[in-house]
Amino acid sequence: MGAAGLAAEAFALGVSSGPVCVASCAPVLLPVLVAERKAAWGTGALLAQFLAGRLAGYLGFACIAWLLGASMSGQPRARTWAFGLSDLAIAALLAGYGFAMRRKPFEKACPANWVRRFAARYSSFASLCLGFASGLSLCPPFVAAGVRAAQTAGLPSALFFFLCFFLGTSVWFAPSVSLAMLRRLEAVGIVARMVLFLLAGYYGYLAVIALGRAYLNG
Amino acid sequence: MKRLRSILGNTLAWVSLALAVLTPFLLLGWFQHAVASAGLRIDPLYTGGEIARVAQREGYRIEIYRPAPRRSPFQKIDPFIQMVWCPADRLPARVSDEVDVDGDGVPDLLVTFDSKTLAGSVTPRNTRFRAMHGAGVISFAELIARVNDGIVVRTRLR
Amino acid sequence: MLVWALLMFSRPEPGVAPRIAAAVTLLFMVTLFYQMMRTYETHRWRRYFFAALGFLFPVGFIWELIALRGTMSIPVERMISGDTPFCFMVIPMAIVPAAIGRTVVFPGSILPTASNPHAVAMMVALWLAATLVMGKGWCSYGCFFGGIEEGFAAVPKKARISKIDLRWRWMPWAVLAAIVLLSAATLSPVYCSWLCPFKTVTEYPQVRNFETAVQMGIFVTLFLGLVVALPLLTRKRTQCSFLCPFGAFQSVFNKIGVFEVRLDRSKCKPCVLCEKACPTLSIGTDALESGKPRLSCMKCGACVDACPRDALVWHIKGTEVGAAPERARLLHLYSAWALAVMFGGSIIATSLTKLIGLVA
Repeated sequence: MGAAGLAAEAFALGVSSGPVCVASCAPVLLPVLVAERKAAWGTGALLAQFLAGRLAGYLGFACIAWLLGASMSGQPRARTWAFGLSDLAIAALLAGYGFAMRRKPFEKACPANWVRRFAARYSSFASLCLGFASGLSLCPPFVAAGVRAAQTAGLPSALFFFLCFFLGTSVWFAPSVSLAMLRRLEAVGIVARMVLFLLAGYYGYLAVIALGRAYLNG
Repeated sequence: MKRLRSILGNTLAWVSLALAVLTPFLLLGWFQHAVASAGLRIDPLYTGGEIARVAQREGYRIEIYRPAPRRSPFQKIDPFIQMVWCPADRLPARVSDEVDVDGDGVPDLLVTFDSKTLAGSVTPRNTRFRAMHGAGVISFAELIARVNDGIVVRTRLR
Repeated sequence: MLVWALLMFSRPEPGVAPRIAAAVTLLFMVTLFYQMMRTYETHRWRRYFFAALGFLFPVGFIWELIALRGTMSIPVERMISGDTPFCFMVIPMAIVPAAIGRTVVFPGSILPTASNPHAVAMMVALWLAATLVMGKGWCSYGCFFGGIEEGFAAVPKKARISKIDLRWRWMPWAVLAAIVLLSAATLSPVYCSWLCPFKTVTEYPQVRNFETAVQMGIFVTLFLGLVVALPLLTRKRTQCSFLCPFGAFQSVFNKIGVFEVRLDRSKCKPCVLCEKACPTLSIGTDALESGKPRLSCMKCGACVDACPRDALVWHIKGTEVGAAPERARLLHLYSAWALAVMFGGSIIATSLTKLIGLVA
């Protein structure tokens, strides 16, 4: 199959999987987009960071899987470990982002200067990190794309397939820039930060369960 | 304009009162009907979905449901296939049936269970299904349970 | 009274106990309404009804569960057969999955059946009617859970904790956003599975493994903390104010309801008695400046009754503030009370029937 055909197939798969990708990424993405209360361009930049991180997660994982010669769909134990670790990463990143927001009372909660400096720097690339962690979460469309990509001729074509698949799913994320309209509501920042902590708790619990299951099953 | 708004507000207030008084007698049924006509159904992961085929046996029948697939990566209930043996009171003490799930004439599952203790097993004949062995409710997607007039058997899809 | 009598006796059940219970309930509701008219106070008398509803609902509900299946836990068989009663709290979580996949992510039934009269269509219809009439007044006249904490909040004469960080009142919105996102992602009612404190006094999934044990622990902790302890300490409806996502959802419908509470600023000399009286932190200096309570106002009438200068009044949207407050109050009360008798009154009567049956 030529490059154009591969691209079309991957893009179509991505577009058809897009709603599932949005539903699974929305709990992580939407509070981050809203919490900063940026205008449309700023929100678009955050979304671009998140998608870039997600792409890095996809491509990085595809690279590792190809090099190891492993098909993740056939290794449920490895998937459980991967799920658990990515959920743990998401939980930590969400909670960290909530603390890093430069508003009271979090400043009071972290009196040390080095913590405040780290927090100030982290909040500017948190979206990228969360996108990366989401990209590792091995949702079924990603696994399906992985299986298909593994059937291509070599690593470069597999990466190309993932890139086109990613572009297809990203089409569905574009409307989330409209959340910038909410920035006029003062309480939105407070609510978004609370959501970050609630979701951090939920993902943390998922991580504990998945890692516990993976550990107990050997 | 002020007067118009005042008239409108007062009218809506009286309409609200009428709505409140009429709801229990007339409107509740109408509202229910409107909601029910929206074409909604209960998620098949709870109820098992729709009956795809019915297989007749001597004295009872087996209702074979459409597979309940995974629709979300975070969905906690594993996808499964549901089969119901009914009427439960007419089942033999020990049930053992080959079930053709997709209607292609080739048996896909061997289902055996005790209709009183609800202990049994599901042995797949191909790779589309997982084996199941136990009694009662193992999980939402793996169970042998008495539900109303039938015995429901669920086994997970691969 | 005739309408109410028709409502209470329109569903005849066999036996003497149901008729006695219906008569007692009717007398109770009529007496409370008469007192509202006589004293020109709303909140005090409404609270008696609401607390009675809150405490009697679990009595009747648990009774029926124990009688039917001997346990409060929901067996999987009941979920499969679609016999789980639909709770209105599921509505916000069910909207996105219903819009996308036309499925209701709840193990109930769409239409009422013999074994499950509380079907999706019935509860949604009731909620819709009540919301169009009352907006967030549902939380003061309809919610059969809110009365529990309102009852506890009324017990102490004075609040032990009076200083509450107002940012916590945004928590219900955060919970609403989180559960809507997660319910859409997981296609399940996340709040019911993880955060509903009222599972403690109604029904809950069987505790079969670590996860369900954790869930049960969360339910009990939230119930004892937010529904019992904090209302006793603060004299506020803390579960409603700091957790309930349905309350946040209902706040949006305050925009379409025609009845509201407004401030006549010419009469107000900020004594903030209204702020102390409000059970849900819906009145404060910002609200007084804007001339109306915050969007979280449940139309309970506590602030109106507490104001010594009649600066806070009932109001019909579109009309002049303070022009005919008593007419606004009466129209609101008649509407709300009609629905309260139908819904809450039925629940009270059903529970009383069971209690009478126990004694007689």
